[in-house]
Amino acid sequence: MNCLDFRRRIGAEPRSRDPELIAHRDTCKDGCAAFWQRAQRFEDDLEAAMAVPVPDGLADRILLAQATGERRGQVVRRRVWMAMAASLLIAFMGAGMFWRHADLNSLPALAVAHMPGELDALNLTRPMTDAQVEAGFLGRSATLKGPAPGGVTYVHDCMVGTHAAVHLVTRMNDEPVVALYMPGTMSEATIDFHRDGWDGRQIALSGGTLVVLAQGASRQTMDAVARGWRDAIEGSGAPVVGRI
Amino acid sequence: MAPVVKGVNPKQRQYEAMVRALSADLYRYAFWLSRSETVAQDLVQETFLRAWKNLDALRDAESAKPWLFTILRRENARLYERKRFDTVELDDSVVEDTAFASPERSGDAAQVREAILKLPEKYRDPLAMQVLGGMTGDEIAERTGQQPGAVTTQLFRARQRLKDLLGGRALAEGSRK
Repeated sequence: MNCLDFRRRIGAEPRSRDPELIAHRDTCKDGCAAFWQRAQRFEDDLEAAMAVPVPDGLADRILLAQATGERRGQVVRRRVWMAMAASLLIAFMGAGMFWRHADLNSLPALAVAHMPGELDALNLTRPMTDAQVEAGFLGRSATLKGPAPGGVTYVHDCMVGTHAAVHLVTRMNDEPVVALYMPGTMSEATIDFHRDGWDGRQIALSGGTLVVLAQGASRQTMDAVARGWRDAIEGSGAPVVGRI
Repeated sequence: MAPVVKGVNPKQRQYEAMVRALSADLYRYAFWLSRSETVAQDLVQETFLRAWKNLDALRDAESAKPWLFTILRRENARLYERKRFDTVELDDSVVEDTAFASPERSGDAAQVREAILKLPEKYRDPLAMQVLGGMTGDEIAERTGQQPGAVTTQLFRARQRLKDLLGGRALAEGSRK
């Protein structure tokens, strides 16, 4: 490094501790050490001049502004969370009410709700004739495509909710099983349910829906009655709609 | 007695330490950039608020000062852009009277300060970054997006211009030979 390079470097970066600069300063015989000393003193003055007084309490004011902003942000965030929670709660309540409304208007619910006024029919034991059974279906503009199951003790046209239905009671193995056939009321799936002490099954048929209900009847009896009415309504060769 | 730190999260502690350690130098840098005490205070406030929001970007304590200087430069540029359209242009060498009003600001330091204020911003800014921020020429180049050689020239010329402005005044270099 020559003296010109040294002085240019020191002129730009007087506080540099570059070993090359230090080495030149310590070995130069042409006044570079004195130049360096003057540059350091100039830099001392420059640093002192640039160190303007800082306003009192500056750091505290900065921290106060930050803490205040943060606190305000927390309040806003809390309000947003509360609004979201309230919205969620309202959504859940709405969904719950919607579900409850839908549930109360489901065929199983309507079928079970229909039963208290028809309990006496469960005690009937005298079999009805095929003609009486067919007449019951005709009352609802429906016809049987196969023979009705044996042991039918009650046939009546009823309203299940807003659905027109043929109300049947079949006694099998001395157990009364209710069948509510709602022609024209379509459902998509066959489902089993237990509701208010009633075991039941909703069966989707091609021309309507059959709901079978019993209190304490065996599964075999329920199955046999359901199968018997499905075959009677749709014919024994008809494809099964929904679940088997 | 040990300071009570329970309940204060590490981010908050880091921030407070940073404010206490660096706000003075940052204010001084802001002052030399804006040449106004009130604008400098606003700039420092804004800078630290922005720093708080982006504190996770700060990787190590060593880089805190250059990082804050960079934020402040951007804030100043933003402020300048905003003010450019809605202020009446004044003589840019006019500085608030209070800046040099107190007794401790009289004498040599006051003259040097006046000379620094007369430097063009392209010299004053890197000089302040170097003297107050302790940054090397390379670091200034990186922070300002310039070539290192250009920054070295600016730093050299800044000092030369200062010496010219101070002329025969009893500045260290002249008086203490």
